[in-house]
Amino acid sequence: MDSWNGILQGFSVALDPTNLLYVFLGVLIGTVIGVLPGLGPTATIALLLPITYTVEPVTAVILLAGIYYGSMYGGTITSVLLRLPGEAASVVTTFDGYQMAKQGRAGPALGIAAVGSFIGGTVSVVGMVLLAPPLADLAVSFGPPEYVALTVLGILLVTYLGTGSVLKSLSMAAVGLLLATIGLDPITGTARFTFGEVSLFNGLDFVAVAMGLFGVGEILHSLERTEKVQAVTSKIKGIWPTRKDFRDSAGAIGRGSVLGFAIGVLPGGGGVVSSLASYAMEKRRAKDPSRFGKGAIEGVAGPETANNASSTSAFIPLLTLGIPPNVVLALIFGALLVQDITPGPQLIEQQPEIFWGVIASMVIGNLMLLALNIPLVGVFVQMLRVRAGILAAFALLVTMAGVFSVNNNVFDMWVVLGFGVIGWLMKKTGFEPGPLVLAFVLGSILERAFRQSMLISGGSFDIFVTRPISGGMFAFMALIIIVSAITSRRRKAVFGRVDPADVDETDEPGPDADRQVTAEGSPGADSTTDTPSSTTPGER
Amino acid sequence: MHGSTAASGTGTEGTASRGHRWLRLHRVAPLLLLALGVAAVFGSRRLGLGELTAPGPGLWPFIVSLLLTGTAAVLVLLDPAEDYEPWTRGTVRIIAGLVSLGVFILLFQTFGFVVAAFLMLLLWLRVFGGESWRMTLVLAVGGTAVMYLLFVEALGVPFPDGLVDAVIGG
Repeated sequence: MDSWNGILQGFSVALDPTNLLYVFLGVLIGTVIGVLPGLGPTATIALLLPITYTVEPVTAVILLAGIYYGSMYGGTITSVLLRLPGEAASVVTTFDGYQMAKQGRAGPALGIAAVGSFIGGTVSVVGMVLLAPPLADLAVSFGPPEYVALTVLGILLVTYLGTGSVLKSLSMAAVGLLLATIGLDPITGTARFTFGEVSLFNGLDFVAVAMGLFGVGEILHSLERTEKVQAVTSKIKGIWPTRKDFRDSAGAIGRGSVLGFAIGVLPGGGGVVSSLASYAMEKRRAKDPSRFGKGAIEGVAGPETANNASSTSAFIPLLTLGIPPNVVLALIFGALLVQDITPGPQLIEQQPEIFWGVIASMVIGNLMLLALNIPLVGVFVQMLRVRAGILAAFALLVTMAGVFSVNNNVFDMWVVLGFGVIGWLMKKTGFEPGPLVLAFVLGSILERAFRQSMLISGGSFDIFVTRPISGGMFAFMALIIIVSAITSRRRKAVFGRVDPADVDETDEPGPDADRQVTAEGSPGADSTTDTPSSTTPGER
Repeated sequence: MHGSTAASGTGTEGTASRGHRWLRLHRVAPLLLLALGVAAVFGSRRLGLGELTAPGPGLWPFIVSLLLTGTAAVLVLLDPAEDYEPWTRGTVRIIAGLVSLGVFILLFQTFGFVVAAFLMLLLWLRVFGGESWRMTLVLAVGGTAVMYLLFVEALGVPFPDGLVDAVIGG
């Protein structure tokens, strides 16, 4: 009953004309950047962070959420038509989607992806309504040790589920935690690592760090490549899938919804992992797995459903526990923090309009996406004509002006530039920015919780293992570490089964298309939690 | 801290591109991280560790920098080399781009947004984007105007006073 009232309240918030406009803007921007290979959702959300401070908190989250799941739709379009994943979660879609396009079935591929995404998103919203309130109730009883366990779990899972080297991700998480300590010590007021710079007393600005690493870093990285994208010339017809298409993909959509929802809730989950998992699952279940990679519609329907379902359910840990499960959510978390709202178990009670408003906006946003995508695919594809150089120039200018506007401080512009350099070097050297940013956001929560735990326990570490919930979580972490150490080779095999074979099979279009993918596929690639930096995600 | 990392980063990168094409940044990145970790260990000890019962300001940074030092040390020994992208001729463009962004910030501080934005768009569109002069001028003038209207008029951001403000104001 309570949830019912909440949903009603949510719709009254989401149907407010301003919020309606921002949902629309969000999903539109999301779709556009999903289409453009140079910019991923992470970079775009980072770039738009300053703008969100001028609006109400709930409107800000509605906008950013719209961008996130909107990009999941948009990324599909270029994956299918050009074999260019606009963002990383759509890499899997290139396997069968592009093959379908080559067989003249681009329309149904896009249609089933849109329908699947809509169903996945809706299932996730329902799951969220059912799961979030009890989870928040449970979390109200959490003390500092549980928060230590929870944040450590989040950071650990992001480093483990990422596609790069676990050790490298872990070292980046350590850098993020270290950067989070810059500024005045919250308890004693001692200046830490500020080097006498007054602008650092409040710590590094999260927005500046995120914009530098994701925005500037990504633009610089894409600047090194000079290849041009070819525009699609052929017309797309018959978007609406046939009855047989629906029958073939119904199971995949159903499984993708549930799988995506479950993976999204887990810390470290998100679009990339869920779409890979769904593809692997469909291929394993298929009576004739050899159809995969040759235009099997389930191979498009499942992953597309799953990535949209996970991008919705990823809001559950953020809004109920105050723990962002992946980098995009970490950015949204940062946006809320700057608005003086700390997401956590109390959010549903104290700011129900945010929680329910965001949920209701997702229903509306998914409907808008379905309505936008099916008739307007052709228009979105034309976006690819915008040249990368123009995009880069304007994105950089918006970044610089935007970061200044947060604190009206030129120092932040230098921080952006510095982190832009670091972000670009990290891309060159195979370090992922995701764990760094997530750890940077969680760092102050973790430190505070850790120090409070130490005060409560009188300096004993027992407190983390004797309390049932935190003990359970640490046991779970130990299990992850042990299992992954034992099966690290198998893990590679599971992911490997998905990609290399399929990529090889689809590799025939010639050197030209091949170059495009390697060149353009990666800039948008580190969108969610992890960075597959070439055509074979998760292979390393 | 970020400043020093950035500076040393670009430094190593300069030597790499001057050297052989096949020379990758192998091991340099973990070494930098190691140096950062060790510096942070000493830095946090100077802050005062306190006791576990009463943690000082340096205790948490100390734990974190130990983690960084540890992971970096292992990475120095067994970092997979295939993660590294080779340095290309494009790298020079990046450095030029970075310098231009630094100049942009300085111009922004002294001459205000309009001048800095126009010059930056001019450079990026023409040199890095390879647009025609005509396209460049149209986009740079139009883009500067739109950005000015968006940030100053619509969002009310107080950019530093510049030439244009002086002209309009005077």
